[in-house]
Amino acid sequence: MAGGVLAAWVFYLAPMLVQSMVGEFQELLVSQVAVALFEIILFIFSLFLVLIPVSNALKEEGGVAQVELMLKAPVRPGDVLVGEFMGKTVIYGIFATLAAGLFTALLTPLGLSYVQTALIILMAFLTCLGSFWVGTVIAAVARTTIGRTAKGKDIGKALAFILALPMVAVFYAMINGNIFTLLLDPGTDGLVKTLLGLFPSSWAAEVIVAFARNPANIGAVGMLTATRVGGMLVFMAATLAIGWKVTDRAYSLEPASMGVTVVGPDGAFFRAVKRLGGGGSFGSLMVSSLKDYSRRMENLSQIGYILGLVVVMNFTFVDDASGAQMMGLLMSTVMALFLCSEATIRGKEALFIYRKTPGGVARLMKAKLLQAWLFVIPVMVAIWGFSAWRFNLAFSVPFLMGMGNALLTAMGNATISMGLSFTNPAYTQKSTAYMINFQGIAFIVLGTMILPDMVLDMPWLQMPLAWAVGLVLLYTGYRKLSNME
Amino acid sequence: MVNGVDNMNSLIETKSLSKYYGKGNEIKAVDGLDLTVYEGETFGLLGPNGAGKTTVVRLLNCIIKPSGGTASVKGYDILDEPDDVKRVTGMLAESPGLYEKLSGYEFLEFMGALYDVHGDILAGRIDELLKLFDLDDRRDHLIEGYSSGMKQKLLLAAALIHDPPIVFLDEPTSTLDPRAAHMVKELIEELADSAGKTIFMCSHLLPVVEELCDRIGIINQGRLIAVGTVEEIIAQAGKETLEEAFIALTGGVDNGELLAWREHNVQP
Repeated sequence: MAGGVLAAWVFYLAPMLVQSMVGEFQELLVSQVAVALFEIILFIFSLFLVLIPVSNALKEEGGVAQVELMLKAPVRPGDVLVGEFMGKTVIYGIFATLAAGLFTALLTPLGLSYVQTALIILMAFLTCLGSFWVGTVIAAVARTTIGRTAKGKDIGKALAFILALPMVAVFYAMINGNIFTLLLDPGTDGLVKTLLGLFPSSWAAEVIVAFARNPANIGAVGMLTATRVGGMLVFMAATLAIGWKVTDRAYSLEPASMGVTVVGPDGAFFRAVKRLGGGGSFGSLMVSSLKDYSRRMENLSQIGYILGLVVVMNFTFVDDASGAQMMGLLMSTVMALFLCSEATIRGKEALFIYRKTPGGVARLMKAKLLQAWLFVIPVMVAIWGFSAWRFNLAFSVPFLMGMGNALLTAMGNATISMGLSFTNPAYTQKSTAYMINFQGIAFIVLGTMILPDMVLDMPWLQMPLAWAVGLVLLYTGYRKLSNME
Repeated sequence: MVNGVDNMNSLIETKSLSKYYGKGNEIKAVDGLDLTVYEGETFGLLGPNGAGKTTVVRLLNCIIKPSGGTASVKGYDILDEPDDVKRVTGMLAESPGLYEKLSGYEFLEFMGALYDVHGDILAGRIDELLKLFDLDDRRDHLIEGYSSGMKQKLLLAAALIHDPPIVFLDEPTSTLDPRAAHMVKELIEELADSAGKTIFMCSHLLPVVEELCDRIGIINQGRLIAVGTVEEIIAQAGKETLEEAFIALTGGVDNGELLAWREHNVQP
């Protein structure tokens, strides 16, 4: 089936589609940018295929329990790993098909020989499947090492999140064109080029471009073809062998210890938060809630991700201060999404702790709301501070007013997020309620930005509208939690 | 132990207390419960899984609202005075929520704050409870590193943090090792005998209930089908042990059915 689809795409549909662009494409292929372009495209493909299984393994709950079931059964660990790989290869094979099809579709009109076409398909498949195999092995190791302890799971979730950042950075740099400039700049010290050249995805790219520049003349690039294709085959065989070897270690449930975390007395920050909450019971509740939040590395990685994203975007898309400040508003949407269901994600039973206590629901909501604001305020200040530093802005009254408005808008967006999460409690990140909340927050927060600015032409309305919607959602959330069964 | 219950004040009283779920209320989690629990007694609510024990505890702690009937706890109506009810009860839930990124000390501090226990009293009480439950040396360790027995002890300490006169314990020993279970049983006896607490305990572990409770009630499919002392229940069912009485009252599985599945799955 997949073969049929591939053949139809490669030999009929895609060539027909690209026929009209052959002229421009030929110009691209003989240009300097060709190798860099293909290297980057294949590198992103590879990175994606490595990171997806790893990220899923780091996030998943109950992965160790599944390993225990497999180890109990009379099956060799190697069989389990290969079974997992083969099972998912059917799905990831689609990516390989698309990659192979894309290149052959683009290149067939140039008059490639069948051998060249076959080798391009082989290289694209090996790049994709090799990357996925590497990802599968790393995921297996991560699942049974990091996933065996509570602390390890916490680290895993944080890593799963932060892993996306390099991919986003490369992607943005590609859209912006910076990475091509870097790769083509003769003045570059060669480190990026050398590093990129070490990845098998780059060998595939070199073969593809070499064939495109020498259609139906494989002899002209015989040495390059032999070394790159040979290298890819050796790489594939080596990763399979190493993966097979480490399988026994990967699927191990030998006792693991990450040490016990011991906490000290409250520092100045928590003491200040307690005073902020009035110093009494509510202050203690705020501190407890904030400790629970800030000790989860996943949450800290979200802050790191946002700040990393701000830096990446600053150096790829943002050219002036107004752009930086617009990006700050966009980041407040991202923060609202990160707060999605944070207050309820510890499970229904954790909510019942509050339900059991007098006035507990209102206090839970107040504590979580203040906690959300304590998350968005420093990040927004950091974003504005960064833009002020980068563009040499003076801390003038207009600047401070703009920052104040951005802070209040971000707090309003956080209120929307918390309100919707209370209205529709989600107890796991895999639940339908979580998905609905996530999309709902994005829709509402962006709506409160777009409606006043682009539809009503009243940008000043953005902040009060976010607060109004947030407060309504908080009220519905209070009703929901108070009557929840 | 409490024997002459007739002369005692009732502390928990339910009148036709009901909780229905589902479309058309077809699931009767609790159905017309009439029950009285007296001050100072240890009352055990027995029942098979899904009988409605946890629902009764949640209703009496104002966590959920009844579909019909009402109840009072220490004179406070569960519908009209929920906050007062919550202040006079402590609860150990069957599947409790825990804040695993807090230390044991911090969790008790958090629970004390939820019940507005004053800071000066709270610190001393936390120290006492941590010592009592043998958790003092792990007080600053995050809960995520605790064993299930330690977590259960911490939750029991949390249920007592505001020193309530009535303590609800939902399956208090089911996850504990024998040593920890023994300690918890002794503590329950102490709470009832020395501290004068009224204990309302749910369990399906018959020996625990038999050992600790002054009176027991058996609930099945939401209905209270028997109430009395262990001896009265046994006599009522016409059996010799509480286990036999429990099975007779709630319905058991025919011995012949136990291995019937093998008849259909014999390998050639």
